Amino acid sequence: MKGIGALIAIVVITLLLRSTALTALASRGVILDILAFATVMWALRHRESWGSTFGFALGLAADLDAAHWMGRHALALSLLGYAVGRLSHTLVRDSVRTQLALLFGATLIHQSWVAAFEFGSVSAWPYLLQRVLLAAVATAPIGTLLVALLRRLSGQPLFGHAAIEPDATS
Amino acid sequence: MGGFLPPAERRSSALLGLYAALSILLLLAGDRLPTASLRGLGAIVFTPLDRLVLSVDRMAGAWRENQRLHQRLAELEVENVRLKLSGLENQQLRQQIGLPAWHGVDLKPVEIVALSGEPIPVAATLSAGHQQGVEVGDAVMAQDGLLGRVSEVYPSLARAVLLTDPNSAIACEVESTGVLGILHSMTAPRPRLVLTGVPLSDTVRIGQQIVTSGFSSRYPRGIRVGTVMRVGRETSGLTQDIEVAPSARLGRLRYGFVVMRPGPGEGPR
Repeated sequence: MKGIGALIAIVVITLLLRSTALTALASRGVILDILAFATVMWALRHRESWGSTFGFALGLAADLDAAHWMGRHALALSLLGYAVGRLSHTLVRDSVRTQLALLFGATLIHQSWVAAFEFGSVSAWPYLLQRVLLAAVATAPIGTLLVALLRRLSGQPLFGHAAIEPDATS
Repeated sequence: MGGFLPPAERRSSALLGLYAALSILLLLAGDRLPTASLRGLGAIVFTPLDRLVLSVDRMAGAWRENQRLHQRLAELEVENVRLKLSGLENQQLRQQIGLPAWHGVDLKPVEIVALSGEPIPVAATLSAGHQQGVEVGDAVMAQDGLLGRVSEVYPSLARAVLLTDPNSAIACEVESTGVLGILHSMTAPRPRLVLTGVPLSDTVRIGQQIVTSGFSSRYPRGIRVGTVMRVGRETSGLTQDIEVAPSARLGRLRYGFVVMRPGPGEGPR
């Protein structure tokens, strides 16, 4: 029950930030992909089941808000949540490099998928490519910095190290 | 991923399959679902929170804006006197040639509670709804220019489709010359507003103002829409490709106005 409450709270906060503080940046062409960021962070902390559930819930809410192409965010984010959750078993989750790479990759995939729906003609691809790359380049370092800041404020690792699987040592 | 990862749990794989199937189903049939009521519920839940988040940003901006508005008010007072005289003259001239008199527009101030869409907002949640007299189809504008029209109305909130929505079409004219066209939002090769349907024989220049023409029943005539940024030739070679920069600053919307419809017997605007 506590987990569901936290999931709803994070989904609400993410959507709030997306529709208020981040719109001014987005209209200037800099998209901070907070949907991908929140999904990656949640999946790193709670593994694949919760990762995909979070991604789906967040994506569905974003789809409803957008009014067009229902299911596009939900599909991409649930797959991303699952993939990051699975990877979190073997990765050092508190490593800055891991977070940077995961955020970069997740943003790149999510934004590419979203951009594919706006791909009206071949002439659009340079703009969309630039938008996708800019989003990934902006989201990954800012997201990593934010996590580092949260870690410093909390005084303890946010994720802990990868679990040592019993089968791996046998 | 199986090589260096532990085996996947059956539960998580089943969940992923369920979510993926649901998402694909929504992609295929989602547009046919009645989602307006869900969005209305979302707007009601999110509005107080949106206001809370925005209040911090708006308080800081209000101080700077107040100073600027004082100056603007003084300028407008002077201009208002001049326009009143011109209006009077216009009314007399219209009367002389037998044209019906112009009516002003009735504006209802609203707060822009939230914006949707990336990179450019395509929809906005407004702080007034059915109870305040807002109706589907009402035009929405900001102090700088046209924003769009009301698409969904809830009891005390409304959702507006902005002129950047790919499905919007607005009948416009070039202010100084009266050249007519339809304003569309295009996503390729990049998001932009384009005035379409303007023949090559009509002269349109960069910097000219675009206003609503009044030929659409949704938008009253004379609302500022944007400025001509680029003039080219459309791919078919038959009409012009006129790029328009919106007058309203869509990324920084705080307040707007719903253009209320005239009551019965008030006649056209």
